[in-house]
This record gives sequence, C-alpha cells and structure tokens, in this order.
Amino acid sequence: MIDASHDIPAIALRGLSLRYGRHVALHPLTLDVPKAEVFGFLGHNGAGKTTTIRLLTTLLAPTHGAARVAGYDITTQAMQVRANIGYLPENVRLYDRFSTRENLTFFARLSGVQDARRRVDEVLERLGIADLSNRRVGSFSKGMRQRVGLAQAILHDPQVLFLDEPTSGLDPVGVRHLRQMIDQLRAEGMTIFMNTHLLSEVASSCSSIGVLAHGRLVFHDKVSAIAGYDERRLEELYVSVVRQEDAV
Amino acid sequence: MTVMLIVRQALSGIVRDRGVLLLVAIFAALVAVSAFLGWSATNAVNAIYGQAVDWLTAQGAVVPPNPMHQTPPLASLRNLPVYISFLGAFTAIVIGQELVETERRAGVLPLIGSRPVPRGRVAVARMLALLIATSFLTTVAGAVAILALLSLPLQMRAADWGALAWALLLGWTYMSAFGLLALGFAARLQGTAAGLLAATVVWLAITFVLPALTGNVNPTAAINPVSALALVPDTPFFHWSSRLLGPVSLSEAFGWLDARTMGYLPEGLAPRAPLPLLGLWLAFVGSAAFAFHANKTLDLNGGRDA
Repeated sequence: MIDASHDIPAIALRGLSLRYGRHVALHPLTLDVPKAEVFGFLGHNGAGKTTTIRLLTTLLAPTHGAARVAGYDITTQAMQVRANIGYLPENVRLYDRFSTRENLTFFARLSGVQDARRRVDEVLERLGIADLSNRRVGSFSKGMRQRVGLAQAILHDPQVLFLDEPTSGLDPVGVRHLRQMIDQLRAEGMTIFMNTHLLSEVASSCSSIGVLAHGRLVFHDKVSAIAGYDERRLEELYVSVVRQEDAV
Repeated sequence: MTVMLIVRQALSGIVRDRGVLLLVAIFAALVAVSAFLGWSATNAVNAIYGQAVDWLTAQGAVVPPNPMHQTPPLASLRNLPVYISFLGAFTAIVIGQELVETERRAGVLPLIGSRPVPRGRVAVARMLALLIATSFLTTVAGAVAILALLSLPLQMRAADWGALAWALLLGWTYMSAFGLLALGFAARLQGTAAGLLAATVVWLAITFVLPALTGNVNPTAAINPVSALALVPDTPFFHWSSRLLGPVSLSEAFGWLDARTMGYLPEGLAPRAPLPLLGLWLAFVGSAAFAFHANKTLDLNGGRDA
C-alpha cells in the first residue's frame, strides 16, 4: 500500500493498469507527481493518456495496481479523491441551453461550495469571463467554452487539477491566457496533471514530463534535467523514445 | 440536498427542450379534446333528453329517467385513459430518454462523475426528476378532467372525486413505468436512437401487439375506449394466448383498471391477467429497478478512450 502521510506526492501511481478483455489500455504504470508541480503527460493519440486521467479521476476503475490522488486511494476513497480534484476533459461542452453562471453555479454546488454565487463571481472575474456570465454556453466558441470549462474545474479550489489537452483548438491568445492561468495556479500550490501532445506547452508550463507510448511509460524526468530543454530538444527526445518503443 | 440540486438541473434542462415542450403541449391538447368529447356527448344527450321530455309530456306519456343520470359521471371521461396510455406514456418515454441524453450530448457526464456525489444518488435524482415530470403530466390531465366535470350538469359525489384521483394515480403509475424504462434504456444504450428506439418498441408492443394477441384487439380498436374492452374470442388460440400473455399485457391491465374505476367497464368483462393492479405495480417497480441499476452503472466517460 502507498503511504498516506503528509509528505507523499500529490499523485502517486503504483503499477496502475487497465485492460478491456485482451486489450491492454494501460500497462502497469508507476509514477509520482510532487505537490505544486505541473506534470506534462505526452503521447500520441491513443497512447493511453486520457485513460490514465479517467483512472485518476475515478471515472474508470483499474484492473490492477493502485494510485493515490491528494493522499487518497482512487479505489477505496473515491469520494475524497473527487472532493479534492478538478477536471477539464478534452472538448468540454457543458449544458448549452444554460448560461455560464447557471452552469458554474450548478457545478459549484455539486462540489459542495458553500457560497456558490460569490465563488462563481470570483472565478469569472479571475478568468476574465465575467462578461460571459449571462450568455448561453451554446453560443460560445471553442476558446470561450474552454475558459468556462477551466472555471468549473477550479471552482472548489481543488488540490489537484487534471487537464486533458487543454489548448486543443484554442487560438494563440487563448493558449497564452491558459498558460498564465496554469502558472498562477501552480504558484498558489495547485498540482496540475496535463495531457498534451504539444511540446511547446510542455516546454513553457511543465516542471516534469512523462512520455506514454502504446500504454507504457517510456520516459519520465524533470524538464530541467533535459539539457537545453527548449521545444526542439524536447521534440528530439520525444521522437527518440517513441521510436524506441515502436521498435520494441 | 445534492439529489434536489440534480433534480432541479435535470428539470430545468427538460423545460428548455422544445421537443419535449411540444409533446407536452400536444398531450395537454389531446387530453382537452378527450374532455371536450365527453362534455359534448353529455350535453348532446341532455339536449335530446330535454326535447324528448317536452314531447312525451305533451303526449301525456310517462317520462323515463335521464340516461346520463344512470351512468357514472366519470364515464363521460372515458377517452382520458386512452390518451394517457397512448400519448402520455410516449411523452414520458421521451422525457426519460432526454434526462440522460441531454447530459451525454452536453459532455457533462465526466464532470458530474468526478464530483463527490455517489453514483446511486445521481441515479435517484434522475428517477425523481422523471417522476416529477410524469406528475406534471398527470396534473395537466387532472386539471382538464376537473374543469370538464365541473362544467357538466353531473352529480359528482365525494366517491366520484376519489375515483378520479385513483384513476389519475393509475395513469401516473402507467406513464412513469414507461418513463423509467426509457431512463434505463438511455443509460444502458449509448446514442439517442438506440435508447429511444428500445423503449418505443416495448411501448408499441405493449400498446398494440399484445392486445392483438390476447384478445384480437386490432390497433385501431386499442385506442378506442369501448372496443378495447373486448371479450377474449372463444378459440383455442386466444384462450391460451390470453392466459400466457395476459399478465404482461400492461395496457389492457391499465385500461381495465381505469374502466372499472371510472364506471364504464362492461358487465362481466374479466381482466386478461388475474391481478391487473399487481401487474401494473410490478411493472412500475421493475422499471424503477432497471432505471436505478442502469443509471448507477452508467458509463460516465462518454465512450471508451482511444
């Protein structure tokens, strides 16, 4: 069992795996993400990144292994895990017949936020979307939806935030705004686990990375440990580890 | 607290769905039509009787009693149960389907699933939202029925009002059973077409196929309150088919129960199933159990990860 003391990482995986019959969606995965870090999870489409997030957010149950998020076991303490995480899925849509405020108030109350209205106002202001509060989400662009999606994920001030391809479909301004937001949240002590296939995102925001290929973790290290960790160096590293795995 | 929050959200979503609103409006309009038919028929008989009284009095003949006073007052609303079992049940199916499908389409299932709310509580909330929606349909039917009864020169006793309440409760149970079934299918089968189709096929089979097999009641007769209450044809096939399929022929059980409650059941007509009320309640409980299990185990990921 994983120790649940104060010094444990924000996210700790021990041989976590998932099978669908004969198909292995995720090979046993062991990984630690320290508190207040931004962890970038790289991999091509279908590598198992989203599966990993779904396991860690308790949306899927693992077939083997264990994991703790914010100090709680994802299998036996799912409620406590959910109370301490925020999740922004890829291509979030939300209730499109409802306004931004109605959507956020619902999710705030569902997360047990006491003064939901005040908290919604705070988050809207913080994300610079207060002007969208009374507009129907159905009329929003992808970028606007993504911002509202991020708002619902941080409403309850979670310890750990899971972002699945957060910049997918965003324009450069949206990407920049999201990066600033991630930096702020990390500075406040939030741990961020981010799925991405954009190396620029990793180079600019992440403190450590893991590379997943065909459901296996093939690389895991601090970004700063990679010599000259700019986007080009990361790209070379990514291509080489994925090629090695493909060859196997 | 959490349950009521989800119930409110679900019902707010339903209220903003134009398709559902249109169906509810059609249901209300047809219930009103059924009440008008009863009101119109009663008034026509009363008018003819009035003219007959004048003529018979002038002739010095004995005036017979008004036939409308010899039939139970609720019998004038005999079309009401037909619309409840026909359009009311279908509206409940669409609402049950939409309660899950709206959230699946909106992509909010993972957002709800990653909140600290037990899955069972979410399932109960959806079921409660469905039951509140069918209560609204029942209230619409009840309000129309009351207006129609008050506008007719009928002698309503306390027992008649009680019978109306019981008939409406039976209607609520019937509609809710189908709504819960659709709620279960929507959670179990992904995609708008699959869930809706499965529940609709069951509804069609119960409304039209089973009555044809148990009592030779063809589809047109099945939506007529008088011809639907037919005797089982005296042949070996119908003898055995009514015995075998009668217990699951829910629309016939509902029709028989409402006809008995509202006082227009033909004398001596036995129900297809020995205990129709038990069958109706079992269908309700079975649908509720299915809806609960399917929603508790609903795939919150919106499909398998690539």
